[in-house]
Amino acid sequence: MKDVLAGRSVVVTGAGDGVGKGIALACGAAGAHVVVAARRENGAKTVAAIEKRGGTAMWVRCDVTDRGNVEAAVATTIARTGRLDVMIHNATSRRSSEPVRLEDVDDALWEEHASVSLRGAYYCAHAALPALRDGGGSFILMTSPAGMEGSATLPVYGVVKGALRGLAKSLAREWAPFGVTVNTVSPLAHTRALEDAYEQDPELEERLARRIPMGRVGDPEVDIGPAVVFLASEGAGYITGQTLVVDGGRFMTL
Amino acid sequence: MTGGGSGIGRDIALGLNDASATVVAVDGPLESREETGRAFVAGGRADAVVHALVDPDALVSAEVADTDEDSWDRRCEAVLRTALRCCQAAFDAFGDWGGRIVLVTPTVGLTGSAGLAPYATAIEGMRSLAKSAARQWGDRGITVNCVAPRIDGSSDVRTEVAPVIATLLADSARIVTGATLVVDGGLVMAP
Repeated sequence: MKDVLAGRSVVVTGAGDGVGKGIALACGAAGAHVVVAARRENGAKTVAAIEKRGGTAMWVRCDVTDRGNVEAAVATTIARTGRLDVMIHNATSRRSSEPVRLEDVDDALWEEHASVSLRGAYYCAHAALPALRDGGGSFILMTSPAGMEGSATLPVYGVVKGALRGLAKSLAREWAPFGVTVNTVSPLAHTRALEDAYEQDPELEERLARRIPMGRVGDPEVDIGPAVVFLASEGAGYITGQTLVVDGGRFMTL
Repeated sequence: MTGGGSGIGRDIALGLNDASATVVAVDGPLESREETGRAFVAGGRADAVVHALVDPDALVSAEVADTDEDSWDRRCEAVLRTALRCCQAAFDAFGDWGGRIVLVTPTVGLTGSAGLAPYATAIEGMRSLAKSAARQWGDRGITVNCVAPRIDGSSDVRTEVAPVIATLLADSARIVTGATLVVDGGLVMAP
């Protein structure tokens, strides 16, 4: 995968931590100029990690629920690199991993999820399209197993993640005439939230692993990142409207 | 059922009536969960809720590039908020034996649609909502499914779509939950 993104400019939202960080690292390793769009200072740490490996990156402070922030992130990317080839919307609400019963979901929790995942995706799409259509770029939305098959613990997260698949399929149709591809990736990977869950329930990791044919939960950089890099690369230019499930074979029902 | 006063919902209401259901058509905007729940039990008790409301605003065709924030909200997020409220109100309205929820989710969600992206986004969200609700509420005897018709007027909804919904509302469908049944003559054959 080395250099498949050479000369390409990539924005990753929510890249300060977790899967987003893994994607950013993988894009950096593939030669992209990576723009780490993150609300908090951990965005700078992701940049440092990319640079330490010889990659090129910058941190743009970006809250995806703020339209101006998203537009500024795109503008800064173009000002710095002269282009935007790939927009990856990975950010999720800080309440993403908070278990809830559907009957107890209130307006505030709904707004948390909808503003980051849905409105954020709309802002990203709107801001990125003019640049993406210049170069036949790609737009990638991160979905989730909860979006594919529902979730007994995270129903609202599941709703917004499932919804993003509908957005991707529709944008794939709208943007195909411009040569822009739109896809979703459903990762199963270690994240801070999952590590926290392991602490609460030490046997969770083993139980989870038993249900994964590959026998382990994926690593954001090693297992998820390269799949996203592929979809962002020129070689994936004929793939659009798809969901790539990167989960060690746990879900095969597509 | 919601949306029973006009369009596809009206034909579904007629078809369910043909199947001997007592149909309470809840019309108009469903502003609050409480108001919706009260409307669901206006006929005494609610055994099933069919959410067939399709806001005409949501079907306005415009590409995302030409969609402003208000339009995004009306065509996408508002559709999802209403569906969530409707499921919660159904949960409130059902008695001890459980209940049946069917969400009408047109095939544009499965296929994606140029021009209807916000609505297609909402539809796919509704399909995921049904799956999570099915997982959480199954032990209360509540099933939650989706029925996906075409919205281009090519189906006879009363005789071709409503009977499929009626089947899902029957006691014999108690083990069917979290599913999407595509009722479109075989145009979309979902995996």
